Amino acid sequence: MSATPSTSTPANLPHVDEVGLTSGPLKSAAFFIGAYCKEYNEDFVLCKNENRDPAHCLKEGRKVTRCAIDLITKLRENCGKQFDAHWECLERKNQEYYLCRKPERALNACMFDKLGLTKTIPGSPPRQTPIHELENPIYKAVQK
Amino acid sequence: MPPAGGFESVKYKRNLPTRGPGAYAILGGVTAICAYGFYRLGKGNLERRELQREKMWSRIHLIPLLMAESDRKLYLAQQTMNAAERVIMKDVEGWETGKSVYNNPKYRDGSIVL
Repeated sequence: MSATPSTSTPANLPHVDEVGLTSGPLKSAAFFIGAYCKEYNEDFVLCKNENRDPAHCLKEGRKVTRCAIDLITKLRENCGKQFDAHWECLERKNQEYYLCRKPERALNACMFDKLGLTKTIPGSPPRQTPIHELENPIYKAVQK
Repeated sequence: MPPAGGFESVKYKRNLPTRGPGAYAILGGVTAICAYGFYRLGKGNLERRELQREKMWSRIHLIPLLMAESDRKLYLAQQTMNAAERVIMKDVEGWETGKSVYNNPKYRDGSIVL
């Protein structure tokens, strides 16, 4: 006898759509998800810190997923073209941020204009241009 | 007998024009090039560290999302397995379905994957 897990949500839990994105779009949107869903994410991680049981943090997990879906929808509505350009670039370029700075800057600018979200990398050295805004970095697509 | 006035002195000295930069100039030039190279290397190392931090944080931001999704899947699998266990073990007196095999309330991932 084998128990095959069904893929539908059990009746006692509210249904939640999955984000359903692959690694490229997720990586492209990662910093915006981090900025937009900060509270839900932190709540979820604190809950997981209490108990690693998957049943323990389902409620927080649903909030995290709903927030991410919300952000992706807004992103697609406002900056769909830039978003597609960036994640397609990431897929082509081995999913390295530093090889896709041009589409990334377009996306960042659009996100700041439309949704007011900025990409910030926590723990960067103070008083220094963040790595994603360097005009002439040493590591770039063509090594000299 | 030697000729009058003695023999002509033997020509042994090299008579070449000095060409190119002097030794100190070459030494200085090599030092300068090396210094610039190490400067670039240092800058590159700092930059690589920042790129690494960027990569790590992009993953950290995605962890709650991915973990929430896998938790839901795992929970569903657990429920299904418990239901099956309940059916199989219904005749056993005092059987607790889904009870941990450890005397420890801490959660552990299952070691059997169905």
